[in-house]
Amino acid sequence: MTERIIFYILAFIMIVFSLMSVTSTKIIRSAIYLLGVLMATAGLYFLFNLNFLGAIQLTVYAGGIMVLIVIAILLTHHVGFGLPVPDKKHMILGWLAAMIGITISFFQFTTHTFKPKIGNLDDRVSKMGADMLHYGDGGFVLPFEVISILLLAGIIAAITIAKGGIPHLKKRLKSGQPTTVSSSTKKQ
Amino acid sequence: MGNEAIILFLIAGFVFVFGAVLFSKLISPKWDTPRKWDPYECGVETIGPSWIQFKAHYYLIALLFLIFDVEIVFLIPWAVAFKHIDSALPFIEILIFFVVLGLGLLYALKKDAIDWD
Amino acid sequence: MHGTERFTAAVHQWLLGMFSPGAAHIAEMVLTGLAYLAFFAVAGLALVYLERRIAAFFQVRLGPNRVGPFGLLQTVADALKLVAKEPIGTKKADHFLYSLAPYFLIISSLMAISVIPMGAGFSAFDIDVGVFFLIAVSSVGVLGILIAGWGSYNKYSLIGALRSGAQMISYELSVGLSLLTMILLVGSLRFSDVVQAQSDYWLIFKGHIPAFIAFVIFIISGTAESNRTPFDLVEAESELGAGFHSEYSGIQFAFFFLSEFINMFIISAVAATVFLGGWMPFHIGDLEGFNHIMDYIPGPVWFFIKTGFIIFLMMWFRWTFPRLRIDQLMKLEWKYLLPLNLLNILLMAFFVWKGWYL
Repeated sequence: MTERIIFYILAFIMIVFSLMSVTSTKIIRSAIYLLGVLMATAGLYFLFNLNFLGAIQLTVYAGGIMVLIVIAILLTHHVGFGLPVPDKKHMILGWLAAMIGITISFFQFTTHTFKPKIGNLDDRVSKMGADMLHYGDGGFVLPFEVISILLLAGIIAAITIAKGGIPHLKKRLKSGQPTTVSSSTKKQ
Repeated sequence: MGNEAIILFLIAGFVFVFGAVLFSKLISPKWDTPRKWDPYECGVETIGPSWIQFKAHYYLIALLFLIFDVEIVFLIPWAVAFKHIDSALPFIEILIFFVVLGLGLLYALKKDAIDWD
Repeated sequence: MHGTERFTAAVHQWLLGMFSPGAAHIAEMVLTGLAYLAFFAVAGLALVYLERRIAAFFQVRLGPNRVGPFGLLQTVADALKLVAKEPIGTKKADHFLYSLAPYFLIISSLMAISVIPMGAGFSAFDIDVGVFFLIAVSSVGVLGILIAGWGSYNKYSLIGALRSGAQMISYELSVGLSLLTMILLVGSLRFSDVVQAQSDYWLIFKGHIPAFIAFVIFIISGTAESNRTPFDLVEAESELGAGFHSEYSGIQFAFFFLSEFINMFIISAVAATVFLGGWMPFHIGDLEGFNHIMDYIPGPVWFFIKTGFIIFLMMWFRWTFPRLRIDQLMKLEWKYLLPLNLLNILLMAFFVWKGWYL
């Protein structure tokens, strides 16, 4: 019973914060509202006793991606001042699209019969690790190794983007022409 | 205590901060002068807005952090399971994982991604 | 059964005798919450007092010695003063974020403190992913600092907050990896298992070479993570005023101050628990008589002695090393500590695989 109440409270928090996140005209506020949604999701995982997943949600999303988003926002130029409010036509179209989306998903959720997973969900971290290192049936050793390649690609992509390794941009920088990169970034 | 402790400490922290701020509001003096609410800059008036644009470097650091953070998340199950598995395989598997990631770190250092200039 | 376990069991029985099981559970939770809040405040005040006394000791002065015996009430008086001060911010500030920031810091520190065992069975929240949970909740604290700097509408605050963000996320990697090095030896993330695994030898002796390297890395990156000198460029007085909390005053400033000291306590407590045996007494091999005497000292005393030792170490750093520049700080983490840490974790894995540990 209490679990049900907590679930509904968390769901309510998530809905309210996601609405606030998309309707807020201050970009940093909407990032903070998004943080609320992510933390409530972590709360859901902890509610279902999926502690490892909850901790991942906190570290990677709340502690990693949100810091990235906040820092990315600070890179933009007119950060402090609100975004322009979209005009009437776009507002109406947007709300219409959202309503259709909500209706379709509501329809799907109510008509589809969900089968509860019977049996004990083994979410022990050691079991997870053993599966990850196991190469036989039900082992995940190949995905585990591929992840490292994916992360390597991520590092290279990050450096290429942030260091301006794109060839035509570099050429323009060398010839002294103005580039799209703002020159007002100072050493802090 | 089970996971309800998270709710408990959430509420406790909230009550602690909120209560103290409220109490302070009640007993603290109010003495408004217009200069009081200026940004603190050693008495000099602020030039331009205080919300300024920043160096892109911080963004690069955050990106790299995120990648290594995900790596740590993948290492945790390995670290927990490692002692319980009695074979050479986990070590070789993690060696490959680390060599690939080490290449990434080497690339980042070679490209001067960390240097501040 | 240890003394602390008997104590919690007695409290449990006493509450069950007074209330119905449901009400007893709620009463237990409320009591735990109050106890942790009281501990939080008292530890904060005590640490500020200690810091000032130790700073004075290093500079051959006396330090606070007028208010109360040995100046013990000095920090209490300071706290009362801060509560009675008028809160002043900036007019153009983002007031919502400005007042939200302390909640992040206080709640994340409170949750981190709740998982640390201070005696046998003496932690509020012994979650099965304990070490990872601690890393997770303390990574949320960075956001509190970032939005504090943003919300204040002050250039010093913003620069301080961004520096702090970059610094804390970088050093978080080293903290996580050096803790993982020790998890390899234990094979469990639960804090009580980590302590139980050290009943014969402390982990720093068990894992000898790699464990010692991990300990040194943890202390360095922990000092950086809690923004203390020599890594305190977040609030480098000579260039940034007070850094991200320049615009905070009165009680809200007190929260930032408190969370800084509590973070130091958390880092020290984790170092004591993971590397130095937590509440386990100090034992030497087969010296039965010596071990028996050591067993008489209760667990929490051991825990606080070890934590206090590392806190003293961190205060010692403060008066020994000059402050780093931001580029040196980043170089230290990404060029030296992180590669060293990755190699060290491999070395530890090799030792564990070969069984070359005590």
